[in-house]
Amino acid sequence: MDKATLADSFLADLEDLSDDEIQDEEVAEAGEEAVDADEDMADVPILNYDDLDSVAKLQKSQRFHDIMKKVDDAMAIGAQESSFKGTVVEDDPEYQLIVECNTLSVDIDNEITVIHNFIRDKYRAKFPELESLVLHPIDYSRLVKQIGNEMDLTLVDLEGLLPSATIMVVSVTASTTSGKPLSEESLKKTVEACDRALALDEAKKKVLEFVESRMGYIAPNLSAIVGSAVAAKLMGVAGGLSALSKMPACNVQILGAKKKNLAGFSTASALPHIGFVFHTEIVQGTPPPLRMKACRLVAGKSTLAARVDFTRGDLSAKIGQNLREEIQKKIEKWQEPPPPKQPKPLPVPDSDPKKKRGGRRLRKMKERYALTDMRKLANRMKFGVTEESSLGDGLGEGYGMLGQAGSGKLRVSIGQSKLAAKVAKKFKEKSYGSSGGTSGLSSSLAFTPIQGIELSNPQAHNAFGSGTQSTYFSETGTFSKIKKAF
Amino acid sequence: MSYLLRHLHNAFHVDHAIQNEEERVTIIRFGCDSDTSCMEMIEFLMKVPEKITKFAVIYLVDIKEVPDFNVMYELYYPCTVMFFFRNKHIMVDLGISNNNKINWAVKTNEEFIAIIETVYKGAKNRWGLVVSPKDYSTKFIY
Repeated sequence: MDKATLADSFLADLEDLSDDEIQDEEVAEAGEEAVDADEDMADVPILNYDDLDSVAKLQKSQRFHDIMKKVDDAMAIGAQESSFKGTVVEDDPEYQLIVECNTLSVDIDNEITVIHNFIRDKYRAKFPELESLVLHPIDYSRLVKQIGNEMDLTLVDLEGLLPSATIMVVSVTASTTSGKPLSEESLKKTVEACDRALALDEAKKKVLEFVESRMGYIAPNLSAIVGSAVAAKLMGVAGGLSALSKMPACNVQILGAKKKNLAGFSTASALPHIGFVFHTEIVQGTPPPLRMKACRLVAGKSTLAARVDFTRGDLSAKIGQNLREEIQKKIEKWQEPPPPKQPKPLPVPDSDPKKKRGGRRLRKMKERYALTDMRKLANRMKFGVTEESSLGDGLGEGYGMLGQAGSGKLRVSIGQSKLAAKVAKKFKEKSYGSSGGTSGLSSSLAFTPIQGIELSNPQAHNAFGSGTQSTYFSETGTFSKIKKAF
Repeated sequence: MSYLLRHLHNAFHVDHAIQNEEERVTIIRFGCDSDTSCMEMIEFLMKVPEKITKFAVIYLVDIKEVPDFNVMYELYYPCTVMFFFRNKHIMVDLGISNNNKINWAVKTNEEFIAIIETVYKGAKNRWGLVVSPKDYSTKFIY
């Protein structure tokens, strides 16, 4: 790969580093010597760039210097009432400066990331584990500067740079590290890069401070709710008031969320969806169980405030104040204890009759326990005719009229459900004899004791022959007054 | 005391209470407050009136203060509970061969409420005798 496309590839892929091996022997601008320090670590393909300037362009750019100068000037003047009272805020030069500051702060962030990668790659030879222990780029840079080429970490004073737990972890890891001291030039370059990162960080802080001081003028309503610091940060990350106002509230809630969840650190305690909004006064003031709820509420209302500010609807921050009061009232309401439970008297017995349900489902359920035609026939007996019984001779269960000759039915089937009867009604003309529902071994003839062979009359079951179904209400019944011609 | 456990201090009040409830069962506990089994009964009764307030009301009568009913209702035990509905005495078959009254402290609220509900249902249907859901034949005193 030639050096001309090197810078482009970095600028294009700031998020994920390119895996290509890159040779960088000549450098146009600084003319420094190239040192190949990565021959030993062939297993991990690393970027082998040597000059920071080829990738970290922002700090040396004209734009950066211009804006920083303007910011310094404006800060020197101090906060003052803007003489510009036009309706279109975008025309105000100070507003434009602030917009530029916002974009600049995003760019500074990106630049810091690039420099951090550079430092990390160089320092890997010395202390590889450090990059996974200390995630924050600025903290990392400070640490690198402090430790330098020192192998024994007990000689290094890390107080104030990191929380004590991290210091302990770092010291312990350093004692067992597999790194070797860097060469003199490598070290010099690394420390230079650290300085640059820290300088950028300072610049960013300055810019944010400036924006914050002007917050009351730019976005009074938003600052009324979340405070000017958080408002400045939100605007910085969003890239301007217009961008912020176009976002839905759920996005505003996430602005500023740290995404670094490296393996080894538990994610159980890491609260999800926490951005700048979480660190506002209002949310931090609520009890921990209600914080997520408060976060959402504040994000929603602050989005409204940002929209008001964008359209310059209310310059006196009254709407912001109202929204803030609303938020506080709601949070108080959530914390109220629930109303005491009243002992309820028992209802009067039998006062509300049981609700009887109907419908198809219930009818189908009732069918399972309904009295079937077979059982009805078995319950009745013909006069003067002894019934058959299961054990014969009058012992066992009696079968009543079941299976008796002349009952009009050959075989009493298990019984049609009423719904099936409705269907049968439609097709009753078509049913001659057995309509295919019986098995192939059954015949239409039946052997009865009295008449020998009996053939059933298909019309007969419609008439009075079967005493089981009332023909008046029968589903398959016909008009009763009209006599059917046989 | 507790909610709605009123004392009736003379016979007129007692009569009035029995006759004037149209919608609810009137429960009268005859006894004296100083007796131990009465006190037990009252302990168990504390929560009950709030729950049954829609269909029953409880009154307390001290038989020393109002001796008029002692002969009529045969109040010879320290505490007695009787049920009335619309000026009619409702008998309860508890399995103890005395259907007129309950002579002991019923052990749990739920049992007592069940008896009262049964009395109410029966009385509404104009029955003079209802069958208690729980049989007390072996539990009576012993």
